[in-house]
Amino acid sequence: MSGPVVAFAGLTHLGLVSAAAAAARGFEVVGFDPDPGRVEAIASGRLPVVEPDLPALLDKHRDRLTWTADAAALQRCDIAYVAPDVPTDDASASDLTPVRALVDVVTRALGSGAVLVVLSQVPPGFTRALPGSPERRFYQVETLIFGRAVERALRPERFIVGCADPSAPLPQALASYLDAFDCPILPMRYESAELAKISINVCLVASISAANTLAEVCERVGADWSEIVPALRLDRRIGPAAYLDPGLGIAGGNLERDLATVCRLADQHGTDARVVRAWLANSQYRRDWALRQVHARVLRRLPDPTLAVLGLAYKENTASTKNSPSLALLAALAPFRVRVYDPSVAPRPEFHPRLEAAATALDACTGADTAIIMTPWDEFRALRPEAVAARLRGRTIIDPYGVLDPVACRTAGLDQVVLGAPGRQPQS
Amino acid sequence: MSQAGLRHQSPEPTDPPRVVVLGGRGFVGGELLAALGHAGIPTLAPARLEVDLAAADAGDRLAEMLKPTDSVVLLAALTPDKGRGIGPFVANIAIGAAVARALEHVTPAHVVYFSSDAVYPMDGGRISEASCAQPPDLYGMMHLARETLVGTAARTPVAVLRPTLLYGAADTHNSYGPNRLRRAAHKEGRIALFGEGEEMRDHVLVDDVVALTLLVLRHRSSGLLNLATGRSISYAELAGKIAAQFERPVEIVGTPRQSPVTHRHFDVTALYKAFPTFRFTPLDEGLAKAHRDMMGRA
Repeated sequence: MSGPVVAFAGLTHLGLVSAAAAAARGFEVVGFDPDPGRVEAIASGRLPVVEPDLPALLDKHRDRLTWTADAAALQRCDIAYVAPDVPTDDASASDLTPVRALVDVVTRALGSGAVLVVLSQVPPGFTRALPGSPERRFYQVETLIFGRAVERALRPERFIVGCADPSAPLPQALASYLDAFDCPILPMRYESAELAKISINVCLVASISAANTLAEVCERVGADWSEIVPALRLDRRIGPAAYLDPGLGIAGGNLERDLATVCRLADQHGTDARVVRAWLANSQYRRDWALRQVHARVLRRLPDPTLAVLGLAYKENTASTKNSPSLALLAALAPFRVRVYDPSVAPRPEFHPRLEAAATALDACTGADTAIIMTPWDEFRALRPEAVAARLRGRTIIDPYGVLDPVACRTAGLDQVVLGAPGRQPQS
Repeated sequence: MSQAGLRHQSPEPTDPPRVVVLGGRGFVGGELLAALGHAGIPTLAPARLEVDLAAADAGDRLAEMLKPTDSVVLLAALTPDKGRGIGPFVANIAIGAAVARALEHVTPAHVVYFSSDAVYPMDGGRISEASCAQPPDLYGMMHLARETLVGTAARTPVAVLRPTLLYGAADTHNSYGPNRLRRAAHKEGRIALFGEGEEMRDHVLVDDVVALTLLVLRHRSSGLLNLATGRSISYAELAGKIAAQFERPVEIVGTPRQSPVTHRHFDVTALYKAFPTFRFTPLDEGLAKAHRDMMGRA
């Protein structure tokens, strides 16, 4: 297939996945990063991120992929996506310095007819304020989900494109590239597109917060959230793919960033964001759900317990621990002995002063008074409860995501504690 | 504004050289002094004759007694049973202002201020240290004002503790809670509830409050901590537990409700994080202890 040559600048999670998807759609792709070490590692197959199917996809389409640290290679590209992951600080505020610097490098290197597209997550007003010709500058919403990024990049639901003039047709090169993905294209003002990205995440958080709030009520009144969810999904106003699974608060950094941005914009412009602050508070509260369960069910009666913690990543299929509930739990359990296992994240001494790294999940459970499954990895779903019970010294298993089969847990004599499930409340 | 949760200035527990307890003759103060004495920690508990904290020169008098190495615990207050009106409010503010003036003159090593969960509104839902303090009455407003007075004056780590309903045999107050219910059961063989006793409340044994205060002193902790167990029960259930302590039958009766039902629950995650190995006395055990103590005193 002949078509535009597409560049992706900034080879972190977003840039790599997007480059792989473009190559898979048949385009010639230039992957650029100013860090030669990073480029060399990627070219050698050593990826800086954990993402299912990404290594295979890159390998399959390697003939269409060029990796370079030389900005001059961008000269021949028709489109250049600027796509570095945007880091956040402890207050969830974005550091836009790297993306600005990369925009500057790419702008200077591109040919005069080429199109620049900001793909990184930026606040409203960012793209319009960039220097240079707005006719050839665009912002495109990314909807990367760690662990499902490849699937979503290959088959996007839609493209949301921020433009200087939404009524003007898109440049031919960009239009033909986007058309190849066979999904709706929604041009809109820069600011609308930038806020659309935030709006998507705000709606997701609203749904998650509702699920978490009601799941906790379920735990107290004898209802089971997992029985309620199918009924909600059949409601067309809610939908089959709604975010209704209860969790341990929002994590990973991206949703937190968008909520912080909404609060900042509301404060700046005098609009009401109290509900957003309530979601943030609820998220903090839910993050400590496992800690409260451990205290109520184990630590109240055992003076010197051993605790097995399964999972360190903030979610399955990623090595990211950004705002991970598991690390927050470990920090609050400092006096106790913990045995830790994660399929993707190596336990580090700074996680916990009495941490013992285990080779497997079952190894971590050996001799422990309870096991706490903090990340819903498939590997943990495959654990047989009777095998876990045989290794554990105690009978309580704190399984927020319900990865273990509840019937098998009961049969094995395990007291499984699940988010949103009616459970025996600890005696006062 | 106080910081939510505690930070320990001394990660390893260390006995303070001396603890000055202001309000040492009260319910908590007396128990705290006994515990400090038992732990071998020197104390100073000035009697009212030595320092009348309501007097005009109280700040200067107290400053003369303080050393820079002291830990100061401020418990002195006219409690709600002395009235919730303007008079007790002004008197309590005067006490707080006197202590604040003393702290401006002498900077001690550590200050612990005993506030109250009365700073929280009754309709705010589950309470944590992050909850908005919005006192519904002058008593709660007084504590919030004194938190600020002390926090502003002290150029040293300050821990603000906000206990919920306390119980213990030595409690001289007669507020609606385990102590009053137990005394009524003992004296009259009958416990009268507001309405049918639907309200949910959290009750803390004074021994646990004292133990937590010792931890705060030994860690030289700063910040804000609610002192609650995280387990609320209804007054009806509480009355049943108390009645069960007596050999003779105790009648539990409802009365016409005068005010709407309110509930109070605490999220004690910050306490779990501050003191992971601390364990509250289970309510049944605490009520039994208070019962034994009361019968021993009777």
